[in-house]
Amino acid sequence: MKNRLLPGIICYVITSLFSVAAQAERLNVVASFSIIGDFAQQVGGEHIDLKVLVGPGSDAHVYEPRPADAMALAGADVVLTNGLSFEGFLSRLIAASGTDAPIIALTEGAHVLDDPAGGHYHMNGDEAVFHAAAQDPHAWQSVANAQVYVENIAEAFCAADAGGCEEYRANAARYNDELAALDQHIRDAVADLPPERRSVVVAHNAFRYFEDAYGITFLSPQGVSTEAEASAADVAGLIREIRQHDAGAIFAESISDTRLLDRIAAETDLEIAGTLYSDALSAEDGPAPGYLAMMRHNADSILSALAPR
Amino acid sequence: MFRKFATSTAIAMILAPVAFAHEGHDHDDDLTHYRVFVGDHDKPLVTAFDLTEPEHRWSFDLAGQAKLFAVAGGAVVAAVQSDDDHVHFISSGIELHDHGDHTDLEVSDPAMLGAPLTGPRPFHLVDHGGKVVINYDKGGYAGIIEASALAGGTIGEANFPQSYPHHGFVAPLGPVWLGTVAADGEGARLGLQQFQADGSAVGDLAPCTGIHGEAFSGAFLAAGCEEGVLTATIAGGAPVFEMLPYPEDFPQDVTTGTLLGSTAIQVFLGNHGADGLVVIDPVDQPHFRRIELPFRRIDFALDPVRPAHGYVLTEDGTLHRIDLLNAEIAASESVTEPYSMDGHWNDPRPRIAMAGDEIVVSDPRAGLVRRISTEDLSEIGTIEVEGQPYNLTVVGGSGLSH
Repeated sequence: MKNRLLPGIICYVITSLFSVAAQAERLNVVASFSIIGDFAQQVGGEHIDLKVLVGPGSDAHVYEPRPADAMALAGADVVLTNGLSFEGFLSRLIAASGTDAPIIALTEGAHVLDDPAGGHYHMNGDEAVFHAAAQDPHAWQSVANAQVYVENIAEAFCAADAGGCEEYRANAARYNDELAALDQHIRDAVADLPPERRSVVVAHNAFRYFEDAYGITFLSPQGVSTEAEASAADVAGLIREIRQHDAGAIFAESISDTRLLDRIAAETDLEIAGTLYSDALSAEDGPAPGYLAMMRHNADSILSALAPR
Repeated sequence: MFRKFATSTAIAMILAPVAFAHEGHDHDDDLTHYRVFVGDHDKPLVTAFDLTEPEHRWSFDLAGQAKLFAVAGGAVVAAVQSDDDHVHFISSGIELHDHGDHTDLEVSDPAMLGAPLTGPRPFHLVDHGGKVVINYDKGGYAGIIEASALAGGTIGEANFPQSYPHHGFVAPLGPVWLGTVAADGEGARLGLQQFQADGSAVGDLAPCTGIHGEAFSGAFLAAGCEEGVLTATIAGGAPVFEMLPYPEDFPQDVTTGTLLGSTAIQVFLGNHGADGLVVIDPVDQPHFRRIELPFRRIDFALDPVRPAHGYVLTEDGTLHRIDLLNAEIAASESVTEPYSMDGHWNDPRPRIAMAGDEIVVSDPRAGLVRRISTEDLSEIGTIEVEGQPYNLTVVGGSGLSH
């Protein structure tokens, strides 16, 4: 009896030891917001312990870091950020944490667009928050850029954990294949739209990369007003632009207030056609729990609203 | 295990944008300048001096003993003289202008600004959201001053009426005004409420028995109460109040009455009784983590350069570095003779303030301001100040001079 159990026990002990060792060697990864967190999980798989600072449904522009975030950074092996001044809280958090982990800006090497207005507005409750930036930070809205993010993540993980590098690169390659298919799906769908049916209205202009990549024009109240309530003249100007472009739909955004959009919808007889996800994923039970789902949801919502009737 | 070979990369990546940001400013001077303002305990006097060149010094006559506040981004020092019903404003002579990729620093002589404000017992001063608000405890009102106008040298005060005179505060939070509310008669403080700018109440009172001490951090205002710490934040344009009760395993006969708010992470440091500090996280559990001090607290401060650090001086003359993330004392060094907390609350005792990589400590009995390194709590030097140096504040920082 004892002899028959012994090999099993030894096997169990060895397996457990390997399991414990594997857990101990997991990379502690901090991602600044939910979309980057999804990329990190796709690349890192079971080799990483992931902490996402600004979670699904939350706006990184107005996030206030917490002590738990500083502690996560203090224990991090790799910190993944968007860069381009997207995470305004990050420098303060790095100082608070005293972290010595590499801070990786994933937009390094991406196709980055200048922001002609030098920034854009976010509605945070009643307050319009201006996000000043010389370059548009929402680079992930182009799938080609998302592939750059993924490659950067794989390289950052390789630098921190050479032993897992092969798997990180394999995961990145597999995921980038899925991204390539997504990119083609959006291109094919947009190609089916009549050229005059390619304009929509959104709350804040986080979709310039989508516009640049796929040829959908996004109109937004960006730059119209720093006030919670835009003036009648401001709204009239935007409405003229909407009519000039013959915009086909208005979309709410998951992180933005809809009151100004409701007003524009009433003035233009356009209906709010749905909700787009720009700067954050949805919760698991929502339509955009991951980047692939988010981009498919956005693209399908836009294309459905613009399809000839 | 992976952190060792990350250091150089991290430093390089953090420093890279800084180096880039300084391109184009090759012929500019990179300046760091701190100026200390010290109020005397007995004489109606403020002495100002430059930290590293203390022979550059100035003195300003007041009406009485003053508590000093750096306001309007450090452009002005407010000298609140509660027992003498005056508030003087001194232009600090230090101006920091943020230009996004760098900060400009301009240094000139400090100067008294215009005529002082007067009113019945000015006490708590709140500097937040572009407003400087002074509560007149015996006047039944608060005075609101535009910080930008004050920085430009204009002292204009708008009146914010209160129902009853009391030892409270009025503060802007986002788009709304919040103010303490007291009962008629003895002025017992009941809680916090939203008000319109004309002083008319909006909504319901948020109970906070004996409310005292207020600080801002991130999206929150916090204030101490007998039953816990009350937090307020804005959602949908209106304040949302939450009472965070003291944990049951805390000493039950003491409360928080003084709070400091971090400007880097959303966290508060408060007293909890005479010999305890408490780290308060307004969002995540546990909301309270208590730090037991070896002796009673004299004064405490937060480090804006290393936001995970705070400092507390205890009555045995020891300065302790507080690790806010782990809620513990991380280091301790003796810096002054003992100062007992027995006796009158306003007896001359040291006060501390932050000046970049230094903690400045007034030592009234020795007639000194001591310069203490934040690195190892060692004494860098001492600066003689006539009389009994007491309350103090520091303005300054680093920037470019074009």
